[in-house]
Amino acid sequence: MKRLNRIALPATLGSLFLFLMVAPFFLPLYWIHIFILIFIWASIATAWSYMARFGVISLGHGAILGIGTYVTALLFNFFGISPLLGMIIGGVIAVVFFAGIGYFCFRFGVIGHYFAVTTLVQAMIVYLLIMYFRDFTGGSLGLTLNPRGTNPLFFQFEDKIYFYFISIVFLGLTFYVWKRIQKSKIQRAMAAIENDEAAAESIGIPIVKYKTIVTAISSFFTAIGGVIYAQYMMTLNPDVLSSVGASLDIAFKAILGGMYTLWGPFIGTTLIIGLEEYFRVVHGATLIGWSVAAYGVVIIVLVIFFPQGLHGTIKSVFGKRVQRTIK
Amino acid sequence: MVNLILNGLANGILYGGGLALLAVGMNLIFGVLNVIHLAYGQCVMVALYAVYVFAVLLHIPIFISCLLAVAVSALLALLIHVSVVKPLLKAPLINQLLALAGVIIVLENLILATFGSDYVGLQISFPVFSIADIFVKVSSLIPFFVGIITLILIWMFLTRTYTGLAIKAVVQDREMADLVGVKTDRIYLLTFVIGGVLAGIVAACFAPIYTVHPHFGAGFTLTAFVIVVLGGLGNLVGGSVAAFLIGIVSQVAGVIFSSEIGEILVYTIFILFILFRPQGLLGVKVRT
Repeated sequence: MKRLNRIALPATLGSLFLFLMVAPFFLPLYWIHIFILIFIWASIATAWSYMARFGVISLGHGAILGIGTYVTALLFNFFGISPLLGMIIGGVIAVVFFAGIGYFCFRFGVIGHYFAVTTLVQAMIVYLLIMYFRDFTGGSLGLTLNPRGTNPLFFQFEDKIYFYFISIVFLGLTFYVWKRIQKSKIQRAMAAIENDEAAAESIGIPIVKYKTIVTAISSFFTAIGGVIYAQYMMTLNPDVLSSVGASLDIAFKAILGGMYTLWGPFIGTTLIIGLEEYFRVVHGATLIGWSVAAYGVVIIVLVIFFPQGLHGTIKSVFGKRVQRTIK
Repeated sequence: MVNLILNGLANGILYGGGLALLAVGMNLIFGVLNVIHLAYGQCVMVALYAVYVFAVLLHIPIFISCLLAVAVSALLALLIHVSVVKPLLKAPLINQLLALAGVIIVLENLILATFGSDYVGLQISFPVFSIADIFVKVSSLIPFFVGIITLILIWMFLTRTYTGLAIKAVVQDREMADLVGVKTDRIYLLTFVIGGVLAGIVAACFAPIYTVHPHFGAGFTLTAFVIVVLGGLGNLVGGSVAAFLIGIVSQVAGVIFSSEIGEILVYTIFILFILFRPQGLLGVKVRT
C-alpha cells in the first residue's frame, strides 16, 4: 500500500501537471474559463483554510475580497495606479482591517460562534460601505475597470491563456505557503492551541500572536486572489466579491473538500464550480431558481454525510485501512 | 432636523418591538440548541410569502391568513429541525453554519422559482396620524403591540410552566438538565418550533409594512443575532432593551444619513460589544 502510494502519487500528480500545462492550447475557451475560475477560487479557499484548520473559522473572507479588490480597482480607475502596486496596497489594507479586528478578538478571547459571526458582520460592513459610496464604487451595479488592452504593466490581458498560467502559479504559491505553515513552528503551536487552548497558553505559547499571524497571511493571499479574479473579469460585482454569500461560498468550497488537507479546498472548489456550472448550463435556462435550490440541497446533504469533507473522508477511510493492516 | 430625529426616535421604538420578537426566537434557539439559526431571516421571508398567498391569492381574511402563516412557519421549522439541524447537533460548528447556509440557498431559490423576483405585498394602506409633528404609521403600531404582548406570553411560558422551566434549565446546563430527567431531544425540537412560530408572528406583523422579495430575509438574521449578543444570552429583558436600542439607532441614523450608515453603526456597536462587553447590556460577568 505504502510503496504503491510512493510511485502512484507522484505519477498521478506529474501527469495531471503535464495535462494542465498543455491543456489551454487545445481546450475550448469555455473550459479554459472554468479552469481559471477553479484555480483562482481554489487558491482563495486554500488561503481560507490556513486559518480554519486551526479552528479559527472565518465567515468574513468576503470583507477581505471586497477591500482588496475595490481598493485596487479604485486606485487604478481614479489615479491610474497599476494594479500590480494597487493589490499590494489593497492587500495590506485588508490585512490591517481583518487581522486588526481579528487581533482584538483573539486578545479578548472571542472564539467559536462569536468569532464566526463577528467576521460575518465584517463582511456585511464592507458590503454596506461599497453600497454607501456608490458614487465611486457603482454600488450594486458593479464597477468596470478602465480597459488598457493587453498590458502587463497594468495587469490586463485580453487573452485568457495569460490568466490561466497566472492563476495556476498563484494556486501553486498558496499550496507552497500551506506547506510552509505545515512545517513551521506555528503549526505545532496552533495544533496545541486547537487541542487545548488554556493548556497551550499556560505553557507560554503566544496564542494571540500566532493566530494573528495566520489570519494576516490568510487575508493577504485572499486579497491577492480576489484582485486576480477582478483583473480577469474586468468588472467588480459586490455580490461576488464582498457579500455574506461570497464569504460563505469560500467556506463551502474548503469545507466540502476537506479543510484539514492540502488538496481539500482544491477538490471542494472543483466540485462546487462543477456543480454550479452543471446546474446552470444544463438546467439553468429551463428551471430558473429550481437548479440553484437543488444545488443547495446537494450542499446540505454533503455537509451532513461528509462532515470532514470529501478528501478528508477518503483520507480517513484509507488511513483506517492502513492501520488495520499494520495491526 | 430635530423633527427628523424625533420621527426617527418614534419609528425606532415601534420598530424595536418587532425586532425584540425576532430576537427572542433566535435567543431561545441559540441558548437551547447552541446553534446559530442562519436561515432565520429566510424563515420570516417564507412566512411573509405565506401571508401573501393566503390573503391576496386565496382571498382568505387577513387575520386568518396570518394565523395560517404562523402554522406554515412552524411546519417549516419542524422540517428544518428534523432534516438539517438534528443530524448536525453534535457536528462541528462550521458544519452547522454551512448546512443552514445551504437552507438559505434552498429557501430563497424555491421562493424565486415559484413567485419570481418581483416585490409582492398586501396592498393595504393604513392611515398615518401625527402627534405634535411626529408622524406615526398605524401599520407600525401593530408589531410594537403584538411584540410586547407576545414577549409577555413567552416570559410567562418560560417562568410559569413545566416545559418553559425545562427549556430554561437546558439553557443553563444541558447535562444536568438531562440528568434530572428533562427530555432534551424533545426540548430541542420544541424550541426550534417555537422559534418558527415566533418567526411566523413576526412575519404576520411585518406583512402590512413590507413588500417582500426572495432575498428579503438576509438582514433579519444578523440583526437578530446582534440583539441576542447585546442583550445577553438567555436574557429576555436585556434582549428587549437591546432591540429598542438597535431600532432607535438604525432608524435615527437612517433618517439623518442613510439606511446603510444606520446598519453599519449597528454592526460596529455589535463588534465593540463582543470585544469589550461580551456578557451583554445587563449581563453580569461570570468568573471562571
